Amino acid sequence: MGLRHAKTIATRRIHKRLKLMKYHIISLGCQMNQSDTERVKTVLHSMGYSPTDDEHEASILGVIACSVRQKAIDKVYSRIAKWNRLKNRKNLITFVSGCILPSDGEKFLKLFDLVFPMSELPDLPQMVSQYGIVTPSSLQFFSGEIVKPQPVTKDSGAQAGILQPVSIKGMPASLKLNPGVDIDRFWHVDPTYSSDFEAFIPIQNGCDKFCSFCAVPYTRGREVSRPSAEIIGELKQLVENGCKSITLLGQNVNSYGLDKKGQEVSFTELLRLVGQYGDASGHEFWVYFTSPHPRDMTDDVIEVIAQYRCLAKQIHLPVQSGDDHVLLRMNRKHSMEKYRHIMHTIRTLLPDATVFTDIIVGFTGETDEQFENTRKAMEVFKYNMAYIAQYSVRPGAASSRWEDDVPADVKKARYHILSQELLKHSLPFNRQLVGKTVRVLVRGNDRKQGYLSAHTEGRIVVRFAADDNSLIGQFIDLRITSATPLSVEGEMVAVDVEKLI
Amino acid sequence: MSTDNIHPLIGIRHLTESAYVLRMERRGLSFRAGQHILLGKAGSIHNREYSVYSGEKDDFFEVLIREVDEGLVSKQLKKSIPGDQLQLEGPLGFFTIEPELIASAKFLFVATGTGIAPFHSMAGSYPQLNYTLLHGVRCASEAYERSFYAPKRHRLCASAEKTGDFHGRVTDYLRRHPATADMHIYLCGNFDMIKEVFDILEQQGVPSEQVHAEVYF
Repeated sequence: MGLRHAKTIATRRIHKRLKLMKYHIISLGCQMNQSDTERVKTVLHSMGYSPTDDEHEASILGVIACSVRQKAIDKVYSRIAKWNRLKNRKNLITFVSGCILPSDGEKFLKLFDLVFPMSELPDLPQMVSQYGIVTPSSLQFFSGEIVKPQPVTKDSGAQAGILQPVSIKGMPASLKLNPGVDIDRFWHVDPTYSSDFEAFIPIQNGCDKFCSFCAVPYTRGREVSRPSAEIIGELKQLVENGCKSITLLGQNVNSYGLDKKGQEVSFTELLRLVGQYGDASGHEFWVYFTSPHPRDMTDDVIEVIAQYRCLAKQIHLPVQSGDDHVLLRMNRKHSMEKYRHIMHTIRTLLPDATVFTDIIVGFTGETDEQFENTRKAMEVFKYNMAYIAQYSVRPGAASSRWEDDVPADVKKARYHILSQELLKHSLPFNRQLVGKTVRVLVRGNDRKQGYLSAHTEGRIVVRFAADDNSLIGQFIDLRITSATPLSVEGEMVAVDVEKLI
Repeated sequence: MSTDNIHPLIGIRHLTESAYVLRMERRGLSFRAGQHILLGKAGSIHNREYSVYSGEKDDFFEVLIREVDEGLVSKQLKKSIPGDQLQLEGPLGFFTIEPELIASAKFLFVATGTGIAPFHSMAGSYPQLNYTLLHGVRCASEAYERSFYAPKRHRLCASAEKTGDFHGRVTDYLRRHPATADMHIYLCGNFDMIKEVFDILEQQGVPSEQVHAEVYF
């Protein structure tokens, strides 16, 4: 057998093996976790793995965990039990990362092969390599031989060349291992964006607020702001590549920069940099942010949103409760007076803006009177959308030490009352859109056959009759024809793909 | 493990059977009086929030801790001995005094139990501060290091015995000695006290933006 023939057989074997190297990842919880997952994918792709929706054909199985509710953590336990049974039949590796409480982390160490904080994501290839698993990226031809490259280490930025990152959607995705510490190293991993026209940009990690119902400060640590130059760089790259909707992410986005004690711009100035780029770029795009904390919401943030076209006129401002006593118990560190002031400024400076909120009903000790104050707040603030949650104990959060003393049926009743209250105000807003022509971003196929689904700048859902999927990811104008409480319907008036600001 | 946030223990001062002060090497840590930290044994995954007890200009760093019956960290820390390595995160929090008010404003501090810690830090940091401190305890033995404060500034409200300056709760004291609208009021302690004081102050006409609270959970 000649050398060439032997090489061909080896190549076929490698290709066969490469085809088998797949990963399956489950992302639980919030947009931060979705965004983190995009970076995890980049690292897995750099190792030569390709994604699969079928966990049975994966060699690497991972969970990006969420500790906001016990239900989400229960899902992790249930999934790893299943995966560990699969291990009896095939050689695979399991990992967990994301928002994990220390107590769960200890238990996960016994259940998962790898448990690591997101800040250590760049070390995943090394971790897998140390586990003795051969990865596609570790299989290279050199003079007809297969060699196993050294794993990437914390101090081996130069070895990034080993890794050949890929991108699902054709966006550039490279794994850069710059020397740095903790979360900075994670941010240096480029995300594998899951959409061509919508993207998240993390601007901050962690939380210093310690709301009593939330465990995030214990899972993600302290607030750390990402350098503004990196944020603006990622934003520019996205826009240049045709991205239309970008969401700046953080647990408390408007605390941005505070941890750097004057060495970084403020959130207002960050938005201004985004707005100035938007004006100069000649591209049409919308930039959102979530979530701000009322404590750090200043008038100048709202002023800068009013000033620049690309800063979307949509604000997500969690109120959680409309009662000062409940806010105290929640350790929200702001009063309703402060919240009312912010809402007044929004309504004054951004009269067309939509406002979304988060509310918890049935929080420990919430009386009928206190709940009524929340209902009244909804009446006054006229939200376009409210994400209403019935309180449940978050293990690890301060409130988990208190009795969950509001009965389930009372929570349910309060939930329904607020849901009805929401519809009372969202419907008139949506109705006043009827007859108007609005700019929308087409996002995908609607559940209704023959329709596409879109968002207005204010993130009102619009559906319209169309079967041209090439419109997905484009801005178009729609004339609104009818309204329901949580969405509107429209018809196309013009397709103006290349329209500039 | 990074050693940036490791502070060796200098000493431990037991104030009562359950309350104690940990004094650590400061190692250049800067903070503002009223802020808190997360503290635990070095290398442990468990930590808890504690208000800073020492002053901004002290060479050392202190926290006041009460051992919690069902607690983990407060029990671990109580067993610490000088030289032990403690790990802290922070400083954190917004329960601080605006610098421009320090020399000019009138302050009322209301604390229960170890909620006195941030006020100890404030009083130690700003000698010129014009304040009155109401400290709610069950008995006088819980008046942690009372001699630190000028007698005219400190009111001990003891609810279980007649050993304080006032027999009753801080809320009873406030009803009898109303606050005035020109006061900046800081509340630190358990939620029930804070909630009740909020209502009292509202009735007494104190603007809510002048009321600041740090709830101990």
